[in-house]
Amino acid sequence: MKITVTGGKGGTGKSTVATNLAIALSKKYHVVLVDADVECPDDHILLSTNLENEEKVYLFKPKFDYSKCTKCELCIENCSENALLKFKEGYPLLMPSLCSGCRTCQLVCPEEGAILDDRRLVGYTYHTKINDNLELVTGKLEEGEERSYPTVLAARRRAMSISADIHLFDTMPGTGNHVAAAIEDSRVVITVTEPTPLGVHDLEMILKLLKKLNLKAWVVINRSDLSEISHDEIVEKYNAEIIAEIPMMDEIMKSYVSGIPVVEMYPDSRASQIFANIVKRIEEVM
Amino acid sequence: MEIVIASGKGGVGKSTLTGSLITLLKDYEIAAVDADAEAPNLHLIFNVERWKEEREVIAAHSARINESCINCGICDNVCIYEAIYEADGQRKIKEYLCEGCGACRAVCPVEGAIEIFPSVSGWIRIANTSYGPLVSAELDVGKPNSGKLVTEEKNIAKNWVKEGRAKHVIVDAAAGIGCQVIASLSGANKAILVAEPTPSSLSDLMRAYGLTQHFRIEAFLVINKYGINPGYDGLERFSRENGVEIIGRIPYHSSVPKSLASMKPLVEFAPDSPPAKEIKKIAEIVEGWL
Repeated sequence: MKITVTGGKGGTGKSTVATNLAIALSKKYHVVLVDADVECPDDHILLSTNLENEEKVYLFKPKFDYSKCTKCELCIENCSENALLKFKEGYPLLMPSLCSGCRTCQLVCPEEGAILDDRRLVGYTYHTKINDNLELVTGKLEEGEERSYPTVLAARRRAMSISADIHLFDTMPGTGNHVAAAIEDSRVVITVTEPTPLGVHDLEMILKLLKKLNLKAWVVINRSDLSEISHDEIVEKYNAEIIAEIPMMDEIMKSYVSGIPVVEMYPDSRASQIFANIVKRIEEVM
Repeated sequence: MEIVIASGKGGVGKSTLTGSLITLLKDYEIAAVDADAEAPNLHLIFNVERWKEEREVIAAHSARINESCINCGICDNVCIYEAIYEADGQRKIKEYLCEGCGACRAVCPVEGAIEIFPSVSGWIRIANTSYGPLVSAELDVGKPNSGKLVTEEKNIAKNWVKEGRAKHVIVDAAAGIGCQVIASLSGANKAILVAEPTPSSLSDLMRAYGLTQHFRIEAFLVINKYGINPGYDGLERFSRENGVEIIGRIPYHSSVPKSLASMKPLVEFAPDSPPAKEIKKIAEIVEGWL
């Protein structure tokens, strides 16, 4: 079963919720936690572990053999990213930073061997064993690379190749297709938000995306005692459901900075009870 | 002068700092760019109620498979976005993943079965706040390349500078280090990196700092929520080891969430609060750059 923790706005507590749920669920189930926040992956820090078993993620990039090129310009016309320019003498020239690696240039080229395979490094994936019942798969974008989507997909593929009772995805902030790729096919989507106008606004954006994906959202309101601002209107409008409110608690902050999830550091705390309740809700739909 | 506020990690206080800096530096005629098209929030800090201008940006492409598809499945293997699936005996496109690259059309054996059409990538909006012009963008959910919207926003702000409507630009970047942040940093003069004193924030700060070095942009550090993690010196160590000057330590204070709820910049909502006083000191440093 696939569960996703997301939220639109950054810094609302997605990774805190995801790592605590992963630990709590792993008491009974085999869990693969997938850190799909490839631009800034932090789940391993919250679990105090080093990333292991690195694999590189490459994207295709065209390499031209001008001796075979007939200057037909089909590749230039078909490049949707406008990454190919007409160079002196009419040969195509690649602007590497614009290339999406889609391979369309090679697919439309009528000359065998005129566009060859080259590749560029865009990111990394890792597979780290946390305990007997919990594994962490992490995607990490190469610094300076713009496109996070291929690394999200690579992490997703690596995670889904591991058999487990639960695949728990922790997404990036935002609402683009790199977030959609992490969310799709989830049985349960947990959106983490906070009671500020910014939190409400960004919750609506992620709920719009979930509507497009035809998925129902559970809402967790983190730092719920920060203000009186209510999410009720948005939650009702998108037919979502508030399943938990997490007030500000010292235990959460202390566990966050010490790299031990609160459900382990303070198993009897109110915070741990809240996570146990979310686990119960998840079990109801398993 | 173009200054970018970035952080790597989300929710560390970029928009709060940006809103207050622009408020304090009002006399310097600053154009504000909200460069987080996937979670735009700066207009909420300035309580923008009405946009002066709003336009759709059609910069994306999407694929469509029509009924002449023979369901051969050849397109499955070329889609690097994994956006093609089969339902009811037909290949279909997940529009929330597709980037319209045309690889599927290139291999399709049926002429005309797959069309590539331009689609809406999002919206650009402009407002005049009492502190100067603001440009904001919103990505249509599930679309690619929010960085293109950010580039478009920055072009608008640069035009304001050319036309004399503003003298400087402050860019409130998105979380992360992807296309939106790269578009934000591209061509900027200085970057203010905001971090909170936690190991996660430090890790993300190092990634954002790496980007500023990649683009050779001078970076400064502001520690927000200073004091929430007593005894932690990771950010100070980072500053020393990389020669990144700390230009402010903003203490955690209840006035910050209250100012967010009131939809007013912090320095206006609680001008005498400890965080507002520290932001005023940061503004004085930034003033020296302008």
